[in-house]
Amino acid sequence: MTLHSISSRMALWVLAGSTLVLATVGALLFSFTRAQILQHSHHEAAALAASAGSQIQARIDRVAVSAQMLATIIATRQDSAEPLLRDTLQANHDMDGLAAVFKPSSEPGDIHPYSPFIRRLDDGTLITRDLSYDANPYGDSNWFLGGLSCSAGCWQRPFVSLSRRRQLINYSVAISREGHPVGIINADVTLDWLHQILGHLNKPEGAYAFVLDSDGNYLAHDNPALVGKRGTPTLLEVLAGDRAESVRLPVAQNPRVRGAVWIYSVPIEGTHWRLGLVVPEIQIYAGVRRIFLWSLALGMLALLAVALITLLTIRRTMAPLGVLADRAEHVARGELDFELPPTTRHDEVGRLTQSFDQMRHELALHMEDLARVAREKQRLASELEIAHQIQIGLLPSEHYLDAVCAHFELHAALRPARAVGGDLYSYFMLDPGRFFVMVGDVSDKGIPAALFMAQTITLAKALAPRGQTPQSLLRLLNLELCRGNDSCMFVTLLCGLLDTGNGNLVLASAGHEPPILCSRDAPQLLDFPTGAVLGLYEDSDYPEHRLRLRRGETLLMYTDGITEASDHHKQMYGIERTMESLGQVSSMAPTAGYIERLLGDVDLFVADAAQADDITLLALTWHGSTPPSTEIGIGNQLPEVFDALDRCEHLLREADVPLSLHSDMRLVLEELMVNTVEYGYPEGRPGQIRILLHPSPDAVTVELIDDGIAFDPLQSVLPDLPGDLADREDIGGLGIHLARTMTSEMRYTRDAHRNHLLLRFIYPNQDSSS
Amino acid sequence: MTLRLHSEFPAPNRVILQVGGRLDAMTFGELDEAALALLRRLDDGGTVVIDLAGLEYVSSAGLRSFAKIRKSMRARGGHTLLLNPQPQVRKVFDIVKAVPVSEVFTSTQELDAYLDRMQRQITEGDNDE
Repeated sequence: MTLHSISSRMALWVLAGSTLVLATVGALLFSFTRAQILQHSHHEAAALAASAGSQIQARIDRVAVSAQMLATIIATRQDSAEPLLRDTLQANHDMDGLAAVFKPSSEPGDIHPYSPFIRRLDDGTLITRDLSYDANPYGDSNWFLGGLSCSAGCWQRPFVSLSRRRQLINYSVAISREGHPVGIINADVTLDWLHQILGHLNKPEGAYAFVLDSDGNYLAHDNPALVGKRGTPTLLEVLAGDRAESVRLPVAQNPRVRGAVWIYSVPIEGTHWRLGLVVPEIQIYAGVRRIFLWSLALGMLALLAVALITLLTIRRTMAPLGVLADRAEHVARGELDFELPPTTRHDEVGRLTQSFDQMRHELALHMEDLARVAREKQRLASELEIAHQIQIGLLPSEHYLDAVCAHFELHAALRPARAVGGDLYSYFMLDPGRFFVMVGDVSDKGIPAALFMAQTITLAKALAPRGQTPQSLLRLLNLELCRGNDSCMFVTLLCGLLDTGNGNLVLASAGHEPPILCSRDAPQLLDFPTGAVLGLYEDSDYPEHRLRLRRGETLLMYTDGITEASDHHKQMYGIERTMESLGQVSSMAPTAGYIERLLGDVDLFVADAAQADDITLLALTWHGSTPPSTEIGIGNQLPEVFDALDRCEHLLREADVPLSLHSDMRLVLEELMVNTVEYGYPEGRPGQIRILLHPSPDAVTVELIDDGIAFDPLQSVLPDLPGDLADREDIGGLGIHLARTMTSEMRYTRDAHRNHLLLRFIYPNQDSSS
Repeated sequence: MTLRLHSEFPAPNRVILQVGGRLDAMTFGELDEAALALLRRLDDGGTVVIDLAGLEYVSSAGLRSFAKIRKSMRARGGHTLLLNPQPQVRKVFDIVKAVPVSEVFTSTQELDAYLDRMQRQITEGDNDE
């Protein structure tokens, strides 16, 4: 489990959220409760202070009443003052001593009136002393004079009696006789009981109480160190204020207490004293704080428990999701064979698991489907590749140089836009004197076009001997292609038939692009009337256009792949650019130059835009006719053969053919012709053998035509040559072997009736140089 | 130019047949006939020397004639030696590997040396008997 899992994050968030809520509510509650507590505390403390105040009041009142009573009684019975005092002192333990002091006589020498002072010793016994004979006469002392003026009684300042080692305070009341003060009753009151009262107060913990006298000195304090000291100005000022009953001081006036304190005070009647109860603020809130801390701790624990439960619950709920995530990675790797967690639940997770399972199954099916499609595609691709090879195989070679007389040369180029295409070109010798050439473009593209192209090219070749002229070939071809052409495919075709002897060219077009004639002048578009395309209308006719090629002229045939080649802006190359491009080719350039130039220019124009259509180009150059070849015709008789051999030798000599070749040529011709005469006419029928000699500057070409049975010397088996002819039983095949060895080039064709054998003898000096 | 034939017997067991002109499918019959007659006059174990110095042309038919002579000489325990083949003839012989190189001689001296050597072998063979 990591912090990234949903369960832990959810638990964390639940915890955080609840904590926030708890804290907010707690804080609100706390502040509210605090106010309540403070209020309550005020009441309580005020009540406590009041009760303490009244206790003190009661004690003080007893002293004051006793003293006043004594004053009243003694005023009339001065003599019995001492017993009265003694009884009173006996009865009231708050008093430490009692004195009845009378004004001394103003007359010097008079006897001082008896002024008894009775005080309690530590052991409780009472002793009496007459103050009138004290060393220091009291008549002028402050306490006496002050007391005389207190007819209703008054409390004097506290003092510390050194003799009695305690703090005392006097209560004085004047003894009046006939409206005149004659003396005073003076009660010494100990303050021990005050401490006791303060000490026994049911104070809250940490609180302390004190009593201040009229001068602001501490009469009593829970901290004995402060007794007799003066209260701080702040305290005094606060207590003198309007709201002295309960007031808050930020700093306690007692070194034992820290922090802010609340002071509750009550005045004590009859005196100028003031009782104060000091409660530390921290103490007021201590309870509620403790409760809150406990609540907080418990709340946090509860929240932790809730978070833990959330975590466990979510983890338990989400557990299948983890497995699903894991499995999804399997899926990503293409592994579909795995276990899914059992799904008995009907919640979202259950549904997800089910959908996952379903997805897995469908994915498997899909992948299988995909693989099948891929295999299918591959098979199609390989079939397409084979189809491409077959289609290329249907086309003749891209270069054809007329080997017989070198009168013309042909270059072609075909660039399919796809693996297979609908463009076609073809050429062949219709007979030794006529060369057939054609360029076509099938409607549509791809496999249907390729099939139609194959049909067209095959039919054209098959029908050519029957058609003989471009016009009739196109008619025948049209009829054949119209047959069963339900898909309404069609092909445009341009046919040409070249007379290899003189350069006469007959053209006929079935809706094809017009050819271009490139001569020394600017290229010329041969825009002659054309017939309908092949394959659609059975009764179409194809007018012929005749022209004669002059030496060095080139006829360029092409398909619309050239003129309709488009660049990125859908702009077509067009016929003008085609003509312009061809115009830049020098008239001396080789035939291939036209094709290279035009294709290069089209490529430049198209740049990297995709090739949309097949492109086919075919250039046919007429190199001009040479002096007519010599033909010798003979019958199939040996003497005639040798006669012909002699005539040939003579002709070769005349044509300045190198002497070294004469014997070789004679040997070859003899072997072939003797072979023909001996084996070509098995039933002894008469036959015709024709020998055509074409001497040229670098070679002699000989065409040997006979109407004997089919025989291809190139297919004959090489004879076994043991090194001694005499060892051989059957001395045959030597002649053919000799002929093949001594010829530079040998080609064999067979038409309906005749064997055509083309022999080429290259002149030795050129042979060695090449 | 036709076939020219001339023969002489320097010894009873040796005949020199001079072949000149052109030996082809037209003329090989003459050679066959002449050879037949000559061989009949030659002793068994004799030697035929065919002098090709004057032969300008030979075709496969001529090769077959030579082969026939060699075959029949071999049958009679004799030898057939070829002398002075001209370039065209030599070329044809080479192409079809017509005869063993050891039986072709480019000059009369070479041939004589060979014949002497052969003669000595026979004589010594006789002495051994």
